Amino acid sequence: MESAADVGSLPRDGQSFRRRLIGFIAIGEVGVLAAMALLIVFFWLLEPAFLSERNIRAILNVVSFVGIIAIGQTVLLVAGEFDLSVGSVAGLSAVVAAKLMTVAALPVTVAILGGIGVGALIGLVNGLIVVRLGIPAFIQTLGMLFIGQGLIQVVTGGYPVYPLPEAINTIGGADLAFGLGWSFAFFIVAAIVADFVLRRTVLGRNFYATGGNREVARLVGINTSAYKIGAFIVVGALAAIAGMFVMADLGSGGTSIGSGWELTVIAGVVVGGVSLFGGAGTVAGGVVGILMLKVVQSGLVVIGVNSNWQQIAVGVIMVMAVGLDILRRRYFIAGA
Amino acid sequence: MSNAAQEPLLSAIAIAKSFGGVQALRGVDFDVVPGEIHALLGQNGAGKSTLVKILNGVHPAGSYSGAIKLDGRPVSFASPAAARSNGVGYVPQEIEVLEQLSVAENVFAGRTGLGDGALVHQRKLEQRAGEIFADLGIGIDPRAYVASLTSAQRHLVMIARAIVMKPRVLMLDEPTASLSGTEVDALFAVLRRLKTQGVAMIYITHRLPEVLAICDRATVLRDGQVAVRIAREDFDAETFIFSMSGQRLQRLFPEHTAPAGAPTALEVRNLTVAGHSGAVHGAKDINLSVAAGEIVGLAGLLGSGRSEILHGIYGRVPAEGEIRVAGDPVAIGSPGNARAAGIALLTEDRKRDGLLFNLPVGANITIGNLAPLSRRGVVRGGLERSSILAAMRALNVKASSPQASVSHLSGGNQQKLLFARVLMRAPKVLLLDEPTKGVDAATRHEIYRLVVDLAEKGVGLLIVASELEELIGLCDRCLVVADGRIVDEFGRGEGGEDRVLRSVTAAQAERHASQVSP
Ligand SMILES: Nc1ncnc2c1ncn2[C@@H]1O[C@H](COP(=O)(O)OP(=O)(O)OP(=O)(O)O)[C@@H](O)[C@H]1O
Ligand SMILES: [Mg+2]
Repeated sequence: MESAADVGSLPRDGQSFRRRLIGFIAIGEVGVLAAMALLIVFFWLLEPAFLSERNIRAILNVVSFVGIIAIGQTVLLVAGEFDLSVGSVAGLSAVVAAKLMTVAALPVTVAILGGIGVGALIGLVNGLIVVRLGIPAFIQTLGMLFIGQGLIQVVTGGYPVYPLPEAINTIGGADLAFGLGWSFAFFIVAAIVADFVLRRTVLGRNFYATGGNREVARLVGINTSAYKIGAFIVVGALAAIAGMFVMADLGSGGTSIGSGWELTVIAGVVVGGVSLFGGAGTVAGGVVGILMLKVVQSGLVVIGVNSNWQQIAVGVIMVMAVGLDILRRRYFIAGA
Repeated sequence: MSNAAQEPLLSAIAIAKSFGGVQALRGVDFDVVPGEIHALLGQNGAGKSTLVKILNGVHPAGSYSGAIKLDGRPVSFASPAAARSNGVGYVPQEIEVLEQLSVAENVFAGRTGLGDGALVHQRKLEQRAGEIFADLGIGIDPRAYVASLTSAQRHLVMIARAIVMKPRVLMLDEPTASLSGTEVDALFAVLRRLKTQGVAMIYITHRLPEVLAICDRATVLRDGQVAVRIAREDFDAETFIFSMSGQRLQRLFPEHTAPAGAPTALEVRNLTVAGHSGAVHGAKDINLSVAAGEIVGLAGLLGSGRSEILHGIYGRVPAEGEIRVAGDPVAIGSPGNARAAGIALLTEDRKRDGLLFNLPVGANITIGNLAPLSRRGVVRGGLERSSILAAMRALNVKASSPQASVSHLSGGNQQKLLFARVLMRAPKVLLLDEPTKGVDAATRHEIYRLVVDLAEKGVGLLIVASELEELIGLCDRCLVVADGRIVDEFGRGEGGEDRVLRSVTAAQAERHASQVSP
């Protein structure tokens, strides 16, 4: 039948270009990158200081913290779940690590591992409860958000943990290149690794299958519970790492570390084309989405917009981004 | 024919439609007259579903070219709801139900004016749904949740949903693909009655005997064009097949005899699968064995427990009992174990538990089969692509590329894609649940050929198919299942459809008697 030929043969030139163009636009990240480029030019025209070295550094620095969590959140969303407790987990892990290295006087490395352990453990608890007891992730992780905030107060008694050992200040103050430190380096490496895992590995493909249709994934022999629980643990651990980087940056175990991050992270990755319904999106997209959100926030500050309007802008952008994404899918992918 | 002289109720004029680069329809003229059942035939991907989707607003006005006339007046439907309010009803090919609602609520979904104002009379809904089911001969409790129904039952719910609105034009896109004999008979009785009431019907099917049984006229589509229109006087299965595919099929079922003295491929002892709510009854104390190279069929009615037996063996549902593959015991209860032991399962409902709509065609084929296509956990892109192309070519999957979206494949091509997925691991035991559901005659022939080839290579096959003729023609041995038990068994040439029906009826009568006098 003619179909066999269809599969192997190459399309004709004109069509091929058209198809490649469509394929290019259909890549989720391209749209967000284009939008971000436009916004950058816009802010720069209004206020050239927007592209000053100092401002760029400030944006990248903030992005590195939330970005680390966004990586985990993207993996978890691809697996078909999401986590609202990441901000609390970041804060709790930071203060626990701070207490371990001050009050308990443990070596800094041990204390940091302790902090990561707290994050991973909370991820494990979230995962077990969602997967094994069937409690929706929304409820479980919202609950964990409050529990985490309470525990931060319990651990610290409401006071920041200060001063921290010198080693921590060294980590926080390091300047590797362009004034960016370890958190940025970690963020880039983690993003590249996670993007590669989702895109190229069997593990990644199985995450997409799990989030796309759990029953189908189970029937082809994927242990979907393990994948989901694993993704929760990854998010928890990454949130903990982000929290400790902020602590190092501040030089103290503040009680407000991570507060409010959960929504920024979710808004950012969604802007970057990661689906809330599971099974779709990439780490590159999620990271670009976060970057775009931060560009807008910073741009509005630089051009002198009142902070209330900044919040409104973030909300509008998120809804618009998702709307555009739906349109893009309809026209370029469905071809209708 | 008296019908042909009548004015058409619904007509399509020069309909053309393309999806991106794919031209699905190229200028199709088509019409139905009142009181007629008009068969719309064609191979997978010929454009049948696309045509009926245009005729009832799923593809809205503006997305295609050409005109639609209802009662001779031009109409354009912006949505299925608009078509419905003009008396055009539709049963889609793929199951679309609201899982979280009851059967009755599904039947009346999207309808208003059933109670006082915005309120709905639950009891009235259930009662009316019950009446329709009685009509259709369907034994489904209107209060059951759709989530608990099998896919054949879901299909019946969709049919009831279309009929309950008393349409003037009714389009049925492969309504019988998952139904077995008795349900088909009940459906036909209803269609015949609608016919006497003057309803115009468009009937899409790949089961040619059904066309011979019930249709008045046939239009054959080929590559998006009308290949031929055939009047009832000239109906003939061979003519249909030839005009659809341009091929003449020699024999419907390829020759096969089970090898004598072959080792056992699959051995099942005392398998019990718990039934759950609704109409899924489970299976009790199943003992069966399939030799290497043998094709065994499970015959029975809807809800008799055939699929549950396959699911139990594959570990999809909790089950108890003993399973051996080539003599080695298999730890029962997880698809992972079953797969590791060399068992593969082709599921019945493509949309619900077959396809991954978030992944493209290629990844849908390789999912779960990536181990040999990767090195240290990293997928080898070139190798994956070439094995995808090989699998697509072997099974003749018609898709523009491995990157194409699965939701745009025609039904039969989706089925072949799933076949490609289960065959990629070269299983020792293959469990097939409705392997030819929605597949055209030529492809069906290819699948029969494939099944026999696999058997000749020593695979043991256990097949569930609702079309008894198919099951009996294909299988070396048939097991008849009723109420979750095996009630009869016969080899090739030892019985036909009547034997299956007789043993099912006998088993039911026996059960009835034992219930009456405990
Ligand atoms: N939404 C869509 N986007 C892109 N292509 C589509 C879409 N729907 C259908 N097609 C393509 O249009 C052609 C006709 O498809 P259609 O579903 O009408 O076939 P069919 O005759 O109903 O086949 P089957 O018997 O397999 O159901 C196919 O090549 C199919 O891939
Ligand atoms: Mg179709």
